[in-house]
Amino acid sequence: MTDCGCEKAKAELEEYLHNELAKADAADIAEHIANCDDCTSDAHVGAVLTQAVQRACRETAPSDLRDQVMLTLRTLQSNH
Amino acid sequence: MAHAPVTEESEVVTEAPVVDVRTLFEAQAIPFMDQLYAAGLRMTRNPPDAADLVQETFVKAFAAFAQFQQGTNLKAWLYRILTNTFINSYRKKQRDPYQGTIDELEDWQLGGAESVTQGRATRSAEAEAIDHLPDSAVKDALQAIPEDFRMAVYFADVEGFSYQEIADIMKTPVGTVMSRLHRGRRMLRDLLSEYAVERGINTSGSRVQPATTESKKK
Repeated sequence: MTDCGCEKAKAELEEYLHNELAKADAADIAEHIANCDDCTSDAHVGAVLTQAVQRACRETAPSDLRDQVMLTLRTLQSNH
Repeated sequence: MAHAPVTEESEVVTEAPVVDVRTLFEAQAIPFMDQLYAAGLRMTRNPPDAADLVQETFVKAFAAFAQFQQGTNLKAWLYRILTNTFINSYRKKQRDPYQGTIDELEDWQLGGAESVTQGRATRSAEAEAIDHLPDSAVKDALQAIPEDFRMAVYFADVEGFSYQEIADIMKTPVGTVMSRLHRGRRMLRDLLSEYAVERGINTSGSRVQPATTESKKK
């Protein structure tokens, strides 16, 4: 087991967090993070940022938009 | 994904339709309305335009639905139409002056990045602060970053699209997607940390880490 080191972990952290790495690479980064406090805190900030954006972007379309879209689809179909 | 409809992966027999096109479209595409509206809000930055954009997107998607290949990614297909519609109908009238050149700007021209050098304790406090910020602060920060960066962050972090899917939606190389996502997240992080500091939310790192950090080696 060779630790990939902070340099690789930091360079590929975003790709790691977004599941863009090949399995073996992701495993290397995960292993390094597990053993490095500094990279753990980096990864944590990245994950928290993603969660904050997810929370903030939850929206429900207004009900009149829904009604209007359904109505438009019906109108379009009957004109076909 | 919170709103992922169950119909996305289902197989539909296309040759002998038991249901008509509108029924199929309503069952498959309409469940994405909340998500498309959320994306539309991030693009247009105001609810009336977002509603118009979503309406127009569904009209176009319905008209083109015969060309959609069942079994392929409907969500990505709808987002492509949303993005094209936005660029063609809305961006012109609210174009921000940096659009189009933003990818060429150097990091120093975009500000931020100073926190790269901060220590672990500071970062842990920063995470804590970001975690406790109100949604409105996160939305404001998203609205404040350049549109292409904002949408790359939205597509990756909210919708969970892969870099390749985002590249297809934004019609840009994967390398550009990576760069927009990294820089967008970097700017967002800096804005949120600034906001936390202004509101007196602690990012100073003075919080003591729980005693779990004994002898881990680098």
